[in-house]
Amino acid sequence: MRRANRVFTARPSRREFLFNAGMGLGTVALSAMVQTQNAQAGVLSPKQGHHPARAKNCIFLLMTGGPSHIDTFDPKPKLADLHMTEFAKERTKFEASMNTGKRYFVRSPFQFRRAGKLGIEINAGFERFSECVDDVCFYRGLQAISVNHPTALFHINTGNRFGGDPAMGSWVTYGLGSENENLPGFVVLPDLAYPQGGAANWSNGFLPAHYQGTPLRPQGAPVLDMNPPEYVSEEQQRANLDFLGEMNRGHMQRHPEHAELAARIESYELAFRMQAEMPGAIDIESEPESTRELYGVGSDNDDIDSIGRRCLLARRLVERGVRFVQVIVGGWDSHDYIEKAHGSRVEAVDQPIAALLKDLKRTGLLKETLVVWAGEFGRSPDNGIRGGSKLWGRDHNAPAMAFWMAGGGAPRGKIVGATDETGRTAVEVVHPIKNMHVTLLHLLGLDDAKLTYFAQGREKQLSQTGGELIRELVA
Amino acid sequence: MNFRRLTTLLSAAASIAAASPTGEELFRDTIRPTLKQQCLGCHGEANTFAKLDLRTREATLKGGQRGPAIVSGNPDSSLLLKVIDHSGELKMPPGGDEKKLPPRIRQAFREWIAAGAPYATARAAGKSDYAEEDLWAFRPLREITPPSIGPPTNGMDPAPVRTPVDAFILSKLADKRLAPGPRADRLSLIRRVTFDLTGLPPTPEEVEAFLADPSDQAYKNLVERLLASPRYGERWARHWLDVTRYADTSGYSNDFERPNAWRYRDYVIRSFNNDQPYNRFILEQIAGDELFPNNPEAIIATGFLRTGPWEHTGMAVAAVTRQLFLDDVTHHVGQAFLGLTVGCARCHDHKFDPIPTKDYYRLQAVFSTTAFARRPLPFQRFESSEGFETGKKRYADIIAHLDRRQKELTDRARVRLAAQRGEEIAANATSQVLQRFLEGNEAETLKLLRKQAMIHKVSARRFEPLTTSVTSGLVDEWNDVTSGANSYLKAPDYENAETHVLIGGDIQAPADKVTPGVLEAVDRYSGFAASEIPSAVAGRRAALAKWIVDPRNPLTARVMVNRIWQYHFGRGLAANANNFGKMGKKPSHPELLDWLANFFIERDWSVKAVHRVILYSEAYQRSAEHSNLKELQQKDPENIYLARFSPRRLEAEELRDAMLAVSGELSGSRGGPGTYPQINAGVASQPRHIQGSLAPLYVPEAERRRRNRRSIYSFQQRGLMDPMIEIFNGANPDLTCERRESSTVPTQAFTLLNSEQSHEMALIMAQRIEKEASSLEGQIDRAFQLAYGRAPTEEELQLTRRHLEKMQQHHAAKRPKPRTEPPPVVGTISSELTGEKYEFVQARVAEAYEHNPHPSEVGPQTRALGDLALALFNSNEFVYLY
Repeated sequence: MRRANRVFTARPSRREFLFNAGMGLGTVALSAMVQTQNAQAGVLSPKQGHHPARAKNCIFLLMTGGPSHIDTFDPKPKLADLHMTEFAKERTKFEASMNTGKRYFVRSPFQFRRAGKLGIEINAGFERFSECVDDVCFYRGLQAISVNHPTALFHINTGNRFGGDPAMGSWVTYGLGSENENLPGFVVLPDLAYPQGGAANWSNGFLPAHYQGTPLRPQGAPVLDMNPPEYVSEEQQRANLDFLGEMNRGHMQRHPEHAELAARIESYELAFRMQAEMPGAIDIESEPESTRELYGVGSDNDDIDSIGRRCLLARRLVERGVRFVQVIVGGWDSHDYIEKAHGSRVEAVDQPIAALLKDLKRTGLLKETLVVWAGEFGRSPDNGIRGGSKLWGRDHNAPAMAFWMAGGGAPRGKIVGATDETGRTAVEVVHPIKNMHVTLLHLLGLDDAKLTYFAQGREKQLSQTGGELIRELVA
Repeated sequence: MNFRRLTTLLSAAASIAAASPTGEELFRDTIRPTLKQQCLGCHGEANTFAKLDLRTREATLKGGQRGPAIVSGNPDSSLLLKVIDHSGELKMPPGGDEKKLPPRIRQAFREWIAAGAPYATARAAGKSDYAEEDLWAFRPLREITPPSIGPPTNGMDPAPVRTPVDAFILSKLADKRLAPGPRADRLSLIRRVTFDLTGLPPTPEEVEAFLADPSDQAYKNLVERLLASPRYGERWARHWLDVTRYADTSGYSNDFERPNAWRYRDYVIRSFNNDQPYNRFILEQIAGDELFPNNPEAIIATGFLRTGPWEHTGMAVAAVTRQLFLDDVTHHVGQAFLGLTVGCARCHDHKFDPIPTKDYYRLQAVFSTTAFARRPLPFQRFESSEGFETGKKRYADIIAHLDRRQKELTDRARVRLAAQRGEEIAANATSQVLQRFLEGNEAETLKLLRKQAMIHKVSARRFEPLTTSVTSGLVDEWNDVTSGANSYLKAPDYENAETHVLIGGDIQAPADKVTPGVLEAVDRYSGFAASEIPSAVAGRRAALAKWIVDPRNPLTARVMVNRIWQYHFGRGLAANANNFGKMGKKPSHPELLDWLANFFIERDWSVKAVHRVILYSEAYQRSAEHSNLKELQQKDPENIYLARFSPRRLEAEELRDAMLAVSGELSGSRGGPGTYPQINAGVASQPRHIQGSLAPLYVPEAERRRRNRRSIYSFQQRGLMDPMIEIFNGANPDLTCERRESSTVPTQAFTLLNSEQSHEMALIMAQRIEKEASSLEGQIDRAFQLAYGRAPTEEELQLTRRHLEKMQQHHAAKRPKPRTEPPPVVGTISSELTGEKYEFVQARVAEAYEHNPHPSEVGPQTRALGDLALALFNSNEFVYLY
């Protein structure tokens, strides 16, 4: 495969460490800034949560496409008995046409292995991850609502199936600020291709723009336009900034009545502090070779390399005070040929994710970092007979799904909740997505009912209308 | 959170807590969520174990194999309670003690059964007591005489009263013991009003002419010239499109283009330019097809009802997507025209305003017969066919390219088939047969090509005379639901549409049936009797629209004049333009708001008349400066009372348009299908997943003049916003935008200073300056005149000269590398068919791309002037208005 398509391989160059002093504020500006409440400096500074936090940061590993719980962390031997049994599912008013018609049950093509002290059964392909199971809490009671990718993605990311609301990372950053004002508080590490629904999945919604998720672009400048075009030299940028600074200084003297001016000048400062800090933050090559190898960076398998780089990056960002990092790994939409499709996904995530957990643990960061692994919905125990063929896959399934969490405040080595014997629906410790959101916020020291913002006529919140804590998910 | 709001909320919460909850409240807050989470999985939704169905009151009373689940009014005899209390043999929910419901919830069940176990949450409007101050918007408009303004007590010259607006403003300032500031200088004034009315900067010539004539008449002439400019409609339509969430695509998983959504956008522009009476504007947008079936404008106008994001696919549940539209349109109409958050009453009676759930669904019933239509309508002479020819060719080329690539693949399959089974069979093979002879990733590639071709074919329909509109009842041949259509509603579903109150907003929990209606609270508090809405398939929307535009409706005119005021002053008289209920900020000048509303109605709902009475006022023309700024900022930090003018940052579109305008690059062409501006190249080539495929590449227009049209004509794609617009707080097309934010974030600096677009536009401006002035001093002067409307000061002149000389030297010594062509865009996709990953080279048809100038193509002097222009674009004086 082409190496050109590899992600986060750029090393910082000198031209990325430019600028700063030229934007100097001067005394007029500084005194204006001290006076004004509008100055943007400090918007992202760390804030107290509502109660003592179990985790300071969150790394959300979002598996898009709908990973099958049945083929990963929730084995269903019953399906072996039912395998290839045909049945017809009537079209009802409340069922998507995808899930109706002629169908047949499908057993999982995967071997499962027992892992951890409790011998929790997981897909045998999770070879390295199996060593982390004693730090992981598998939750089988979670239910989504939508079986449509974008609406389900909006749901798990923003609490609102129909889009437009702030992402969880925005809410968390709004509630807690960031430990590092020179980096965005909420960073997204997408695949090369954005998921369905695109940037609305990490939108700040109605929250102020400071809380928007910043996708680090896997190739080229990590932040949009962080660097000037190639043809702009260092001296040129320096001189232009100096000139701009002079112009703005004169203008500010003429407009003492306008408090925002200092803030806007300051925003250029912040931009260039970010520009100075970002390359170091994402410089994976500065990690010891052993660490890079642990994550699978440089693997012959491009997927392992890509996910490994992003998991390693997630750790580096969290280490530097970024509050919320979301890693997005797609490709789980296995309607057919699930053995091959899910098999390759499991192989791709196993090493990087195990490395992330081990590395966080080794450095002590796992105690204060909540790691979440989830899809937007689960997959059905059966499959549609399409065009007469049976290609052993699974359709979308909302009432049961795959979810685990580890680290700050999460129970260790435990299974919470259960699904029925075919994995169609959760039957124990059953909770909707919003309660999962309430619980994650809780672990981060935030109370969903208090983390509100006035918009569209009322105080809005991540859970939309309030939810409850899933106590079983709090250690 | 704002402290005042917090205390309001807390006191509201306290007053709710004080009274013990009613059965309906218990059902809404506790019983229903518990049933849904704990019970219905086995007893109602997927299954009815033990023949027990707990979804409706009737079924619950009837019970299952063990008899009735509840006995209304008698908790102790109710089996359900025994079961959840674990007081008998049967214990629910299953799972033993660990799963036993908490005492709080079990107590709620007890009280709920005692209260008769109601399965509804609706309660009548007006039952709760609403504070008079929260009902202001529902009260009739008051006839107000502008206050008379006596001479100031401090012996200073009286502030002028130019229009009645001033009388209200000055009277309030006097109440607050605030002194009005002076008039703005004339440069600030012409910049302020030109951006305000047209979204563009004044030209240096316009500034010069205005400064040369200090008479009052000059200002009036200026306002009239701007109001008459076609640029006015382009600017003010943007405000309305913010409210209506206009986009050219549908959003979600396919983000298909809506055929000719742009005709609605142009309709809005025309409406503002022609000063279409606002009442007519409403009638047309809500019910143009019913009221004026022979008027093409009125058909186009109904595009309003289709502006929200919406999609139906085979993966979605038809009943859900239909309900999604109904909820969207109900809420949207309420918010846009009535300034009420009607949507809050979807799941429960509105918590703050007198809108019961029943009213929400009565309003919704107005739309239950409304079907999507892709309706043929010839292009009108007043519509633009700008870009049709290039556009048609562009789509034909890309579709031909994609078709050719598909054919190459099927041909390969055919050859393989022929080798096995002979030429004749191969020649007549169906695509299904051929499919089996594809190898490797060919099948997946074929699927991708087909999908992308389909997306382009949908888009190419923009050149056909179609509208994205509605009909009452489905007209089959106009049905605009194409994707997943066979699972969607059919004509009889519209004919027989019934609307029920949905408990908790859930379509699986229908309660009382309702007939179409309007908000009772308007009748109750204003005395304007609710009209009858017919229950026939047609005519429902017409009746609703007439109710909205009736001059006796207390909300409609207030909401619109408040929006107009907000766009002029940056803040509405009532500061939440979309929320005139309890939770919205109360009007700062209630008398002025009513006076303006009456004035608006008396002037036949003329928006321009409202502009005039505002723009001619002294209040609008005041300076941003003030002699006693410190005191003013203490007493009125938000400048609510308008002793001075609030400076504002340019909106995203204004900023882009201003850069184009001062560079001389702005295309004057108007209307027609959305144009594709140059956007950040990384974002343009960013692969994006859509259903089962990758979205086609974003390709900017090849022609500079097409590319550099005003931002309102940019193609608005929900799945791919222009990052420059987004980063400067552009409107999110999925949400109604009450008011643009102008928060300053560091990434804005990156965009404005580092983007290719900024650099290229700066070079274009540099070339313009060189053309228009020859001496260095003349060029500096021209640059300042264009960007700021003024000459540089002596100090600025020296500073700029030094900078230019330095940069010229720098550029003379350093020759930039020539432009490089971008590499082909490769997307990686993981195959749904085989589970394997593979790469896909995005289709891009070769076009003669008219590049912007590149530094390697111009001399060091031009490059130095480009540096100057770039700094001007980034300067505070350019981005702020005073």
